[in-house]
Amino acid sequence: MLEIRNLTKRYGAVTALDGASFSAKRGRLVGFLGPNGAGKTTTMRCVFGLATPDSGDTRWDGQPIDAVTRLRFGYMPEQRGLYPRMRIAEQLSYFGQHHGLTGREARAAAGLWLERFGLADRAKSKLEDLSHGNQQRVQLATALVHDPELLVLDEPFSGLDPIGIATMAEILRERAAAGVGVVFSSHQLDLVEEVCEDVVIISRGRVVAEGAIEDLKASSGRRHLDVEVAGSGGAWLDGRNTHTVLERDGDRVKLLVEDSVDLGALLTAARDAGEVRRFSYEPPKLSELFMEAVTASQPVREEARA
Amino acid sequence: MRRVSRIRAIRLVAGREIIERGRSRGYLLSLVFTIVLMLVGFIVPTLILGQTLTTRLALVGTPPAGLEQALTAAAAAGTQQLVLSSVPTRADAEAALHAGSIDAALEVPADLSAPGELIVVTDASAPLRAVVDQAVVGLRTGENAIATPVVDALQPQTAEDATASLFANAGIILMFIGIFSYGSWVLTGVVEEKQSRVVEVVLSTVRPRDLLMGKVLGIGLLALAQLVILVAVGLGVAQIGGRLALPETTLGAVVQLLVWFILGFALYSTTMGFLGSLASRAEEASTASMPVTLTATTAYILSIVVVQQDPSGILARVMTFIPPAAPMVVPLRVALGAIEPWEILLSIALTVATIWLLFVVGARVYSGAVLQVGSRMRLRDAWRASR
Repeated sequence: MLEIRNLTKRYGAVTALDGASFSAKRGRLVGFLGPNGAGKTTTMRCVFGLATPDSGDTRWDGQPIDAVTRLRFGYMPEQRGLYPRMRIAEQLSYFGQHHGLTGREARAAAGLWLERFGLADRAKSKLEDLSHGNQQRVQLATALVHDPELLVLDEPFSGLDPIGIATMAEILRERAAAGVGVVFSSHQLDLVEEVCEDVVIISRGRVVAEGAIEDLKASSGRRHLDVEVAGSGGAWLDGRNTHTVLERDGDRVKLLVEDSVDLGALLTAARDAGEVRRFSYEPPKLSELFMEAVTASQPVREEARA
Repeated sequence: MRRVSRIRAIRLVAGREIIERGRSRGYLLSLVFTIVLMLVGFIVPTLILGQTLTTRLALVGTPPAGLEQALTAAAAAGTQQLVLSSVPTRADAEAALHAGSIDAALEVPADLSAPGELIVVTDASAPLRAVVDQAVVGLRTGENAIATPVVDALQPQTAEDATASLFANAGIILMFIGIFSYGSWVLTGVVEEKQSRVVEVVLSTVRPRDLLMGKVLGIGLLALAQLVILVAVGLGVAQIGGRLALPETTLGAVVQLLVWFILGFALYSTTMGFLGSLASRAEEASTASMPVTLTATTAYILSIVVVQQDPSGILARVMTFIPPAAPMVVPLRVALGAIEPWEILLSIALTVATIWLLFVVGARVYSGAVLQVGSRMRLRDAWRASR
């Protein structure tokens, strides 16, 4: 399990991390979410020793993370970067050896991953001669080549086409199923909702929500109610104050309600108005939970000034 | 999974540099380029120095009748210009030679009873000898007709001196070119890693200091290989051509050259490496490395101008103990045989200490600067940003 404990990091006047804490379990896909500048990349850099926190620490399986532990991690930074003029097979093998593989093991692993990504015939190509998508695949292979126990990926899905996204998701699921810890950041919240089991939402250097997506949804007080009553024009809602109307579309209305709402009473009212063709009651989407958590974390002072 | 020792990490980084750069066209080109530069470095000075085609020649005592006209006629036929004068005695001629007011003196008995002597300081140039020989032989008749004047050098230059001087020049040119071409590889290598962001992936497993050290080591070995090839080729050609009599000091001079090349390279390329980390783009790299370039150029020019003229002078002695200058000054003084062993040892000690200091300071600046993005960093900020 990866534990981030009370991390604080300042760059001059800018506070990048302000006591961030969360954990990510092995075998689970964890989405690491937050607006730009929230501290996602700084957190990842702290895990890899690329930034030293002012306070707090990082642990893997209960032990403080050090240079030796990190050899068992795989990292894909947001700013992609490999050696442009180096042959891709040699590049993978080079990074594999830096992670402790012998030359022979590293070459074998490099071949295996290139095969997996359909790049076996390009093994001797220079990175710069590959297409953008293929370069992205090599970058991921670099993080995977030494069979790491923890994968930390900064925006792994950005810039990928739908097929690339599917392949990436499949590989991440497979790694998680093999007991690897997988943490990745993304702004594509619908994708995260689909792929991840857990999420961590960070805002202004603090973790504002953390846990299984299902639990977060369940514990949210809001629900979506989507009702369609034939020929009603939505008039049956008039005079009720148990909801917020999100959208009206003829006979169909989309409502935001509290989870304490009397659903039975609403359904009865709808039935009285006509034939109920649709009545769906759903928890909010991840993107809404995200907006909610992030907005709530904005200090009032800042809003007043704006 | 094994742990990767720091030595293994440095070896991996160095190995990558050697493989990637060694098989690049750039390495081969740089080898060819260096050979050309070295040849130019030899040929240009001899062309410039050899261009003194006007020789001030003094005739000693009473010369044979018609010698003056014969000399003028012989000179007019070739490229050798003569400015003739006369001195009463041989002693006067030698004094004038030492004073530098004439370049050569010719003493031939008026009755042509002896071949005569051409008196010079170190050596008579071939064109001068040709003119003198032609004039003197032309005046003679009879048995001794073909006897040409004997060259008498006041301070004859030995083959060893010539070789030593050649060697010193070659060594210092190689040193300068090596530091510049390979030092700039370290510089651009660091900047490229920073610019392409690969450094973030590398540094997730490798310590910044080890990355810098591996880079300097790998590129340094390539540079050393090139130097060894060049020296071997140079010595080989000289032996085959029979043009150089290798002095006994050759082996020592070669060893010193290699030792100082290693020290000089480590000193300069380490500095270039960490200054390069301050740049954010390749275009800024040369600005960042400006202080190093200026220092190396100054040291080089002072070496060829001052030290070569007066290898045991006070300035040469002082420069021996200034680490940025030592890699060029010391081999030059060694080749010219004008240095004490203790001076060499002290100079090596000072240089090694400076390299160590540069690595400590440099690695800290490097690790502070290399992960930063954005505009060019100042040295002080990089020092502070470091962990």
